[in-house]
Amino acid sequence: MLDQSKFDKITSDLLKPIRINHSFMVWMGFLGVSLIVCLYAYSVQLDKGMVVTGLRDYVSWGMYISNFVFFVATSLIGMLISAVLGLSGEKWASPLARIAEIIALAFAAVAGLVIISDMGRPERLINVFLYGRIQSPILWDVTVVTFYVLISALFLYVPLIPDLKICYDKMNQLPAYKRNIYKVLSLNWIGSPEQIKIIKQSTRILAILIIPVALAIHTVTSWLFASTTRVGWDSSIFGPYFVTGAFVSGSAAVIIAMFFYRNNFKLQDYITEKHFDKMGKLLVLVSLIYLYFTLNEYMVPGYKMKKFDAMHIHALFTGTHALLFWSVQIFGLVLPIVLLLFKKMRKPLPMLVVALFVICGAWLKRYIIVIPTQEHPFLPIQNVPMNFKIYTPSLTESLISLAPIILVLIIITILSKVVPIIPVHETIEHLEETK
Amino acid sequence: MFKENIKLRLTATFLICFLFFLQLNAQRWDVPADKKSKNSYIKFDGNTAKEGEAIFTKNCKSCHGDLGKSNGIKTMNPAPPDLSQALTQELTDGELFYILNTGRNAMPSFKNTLSEEERWKAISFIRSFNNKYVQVLSKTDPTKSKLVKINCVFDSLSNKLKLNIIANEKTGVIPLKDAEVSLFVTRYFGKLQIEKTIRTNADGIAIFNFPKDLPGDKTGNVDVAIKVSDELYGEIESVNKFNIGIPTDKLGLTQNRAIWNILKKAPWWIIITYTSIVLTVGAFLLYIIFSLLKIRKLGEN
Ligand code: HEC
Repeated sequence: MLDQSKFDKITSDLLKPIRINHSFMVWMGFLGVSLIVCLYAYSVQLDKGMVVTGLRDYVSWGMYISNFVFFVATSLIGMLISAVLGLSGEKWASPLARIAEIIALAFAAVAGLVIISDMGRPERLINVFLYGRIQSPILWDVTVVTFYVLISALFLYVPLIPDLKICYDKMNQLPAYKRNIYKVLSLNWIGSPEQIKIIKQSTRILAILIIPVALAIHTVTSWLFASTTRVGWDSSIFGPYFVTGAFVSGSAAVIIAMFFYRNNFKLQDYITEKHFDKMGKLLVLVSLIYLYFTLNEYMVPGYKMKKFDAMHIHALFTGTHALLFWSVQIFGLVLPIVLLLFKKMRKPLPMLVVALFVICGAWLKRYIIVIPTQEHPFLPIQNVPMNFKIYTPSLTESLISLAPIILVLIIITILSKVVPIIPVHETIEHLEETK
Repeated sequence: MFKENIKLRLTATFLICFLFFLQLNAQRWDVPADKKSKNSYIKFDGNTAKEGEAIFTKNCKSCHGDLGKSNGIKTMNPAPPDLSQALTQELTDGELFYILNTGRNAMPSFKNTLSEEERWKAISFIRSFNNKYVQVLSKTDPTKSKLVKINCVFDSLSNKLKLNIIANEKTGVIPLKDAEVSLFVTRYFGKLQIEKTIRTNADGIAIFNFPKDLPGDKTGNVDVAIKVSDELYGEIESVNKFNIGIPTDKLGLTQNRAIWNILKKAPWWIIITYTSIVLTVGAFLLYIIFSLLKIRKLGEN
């Protein structure tokens, strides 16, 4: 028999972070000001046109598109942790499910905005819906991203319903209108067996549904590249290559979030060292798979060295992009794998550092996939200004690329200030089951 | 010993210089005297240079680069020179015209892609970079070409096209003797030349063998372009329709359902796959929303 006081402690521990404190205001103020600076940069782009970026005729997909791929990639982690691990009965992952879902939702929702930053005439976005051709991967991408955002939102919301009721019950210090929002959102939850049954069933359906949709979203994103004949993109393994790469950056994002939640929200009892240890192993696993695909992606064309492949591969291996290429492979992939094999490294702080390297590497990796090949088109570049031949992102462009990242942080911060980021209801249920 | 060595070195140096000279010489153009003295009947001025610039930008700049900037393609051998250089400007108008007509190595022939007028205008543009240049106008009268008439008869038995080229002078009808005649059929992307360029005989007659397997349009019509070039009368071109091709009626690339076609003509497999996926996922989502409403209903009682 577990005593009521234990339940009360769990509830109050997990609900405690839901309040607006000083550090929250400072952090949000910082994010807000940074966002305004970036939005100013965007207004410059709207006014002057895409010429304020480093994009020109040959390299027409630059930082924005690599940013987009990174965002879609990172959002995939929701599917891996909440759905795949959840369905396969990995109980250790369930306290992390909501964190993963929040990250997934934030990144997926903002990914759509990232694409708009790449448009000189954003008001023409409507034409995709009016005149889109279903033969085009662009339209498939718009479709799956929309679906993924919807499913992620539901996947976050449905298991949250019992917790919303708990919030409504326990947080009587809140102003009435705020409590009422909880009340409305908790859909008259009383915890009756029928209600529990429906929630269980819906969660299960969503968990199964999100797997193919998540695979689709990143596979289609990879097809935006792979359905062309361009060297470096024209690859039949681009789908799985992107998906596994996505798990790497997503896992890193979850580890970073875990670290900050654990420390700032005092959740040491709920996000334990065991969770870090498991996440470290998961990161090693997905990184190894990704390394395997990376090897295939460069080894096969690198062995044959067909004329145009060779130009591209030389630029990456020994040419202008070599420094970036090797740093990404070594510091973003190989070293993290090696380090995390040691148990001592799978502790919160070392893992935070490793995860930061991995996530920066993941961003730069997208840059390497998207940009260098465009500097070597099949037809030779002739009689053009220097900045057409070599792409250098401008400051304005970099600021605009930063905006979505800030936006994601804002969304994650706000969400974790209004809902318990560790499922309260499930934690209690879990305790009851194992007692 | 020492002296001998010097001799040897001197001979070697001379030899190398001589070879170098030969090499340079080989790169210049060997233009027949009558072509060399040919002149333009168009007076070069600011306007013709301007029109010539547009022609140059479209047809020549990709190789030669901008005049005076020496930014042509360096990787070709021989490389296309900057046409404002002294070496080029020393050439006569006739020589430049000849170069444009014949081409050499990577330099293409523009005889069939640019009209005579356009070729002269391009030269006018090249000359505008040379302030020492003084034009010598040709004595040919461009209006004379209006007097020329081309009569053509197709003999379907022998598949021969017989051309009779005459000029209606005030003094009477004069056949164009020894004029260059070329025959083309128009197709997508430029013209297809039929047989070689030939010259008319003393009666102004030229005969071409027409191929039997040339595809025409739906009814077998072919656009035949005849180009005549005469010392005295200049260049004359005429395009006629002849029913001498094989009738061909192929479906256009955008007539069937295809990946590259418009939405209405998308392939069935894409339409079916896409819509069924969207409907399936949509149905599940609706079901979830419906379940949520049910939860709310259950809680009311
Ligand atoms: C495909 C590339 C290319 C294009 C297009 C081209 N040229 Fe050339 N041109 C060359 C090359 C290569 C040479 C040198 C050929 C040689 O010396 O054998 C050359 C030589 C010449 C020369 C002789 C220069 C000299 O001093 O020897 C003239 C004049 C010339 N081009 C004019 C033109 C004009 C006018 C056009 C456009 C109507 C044009 N070219 C288009 C490649 C090109």
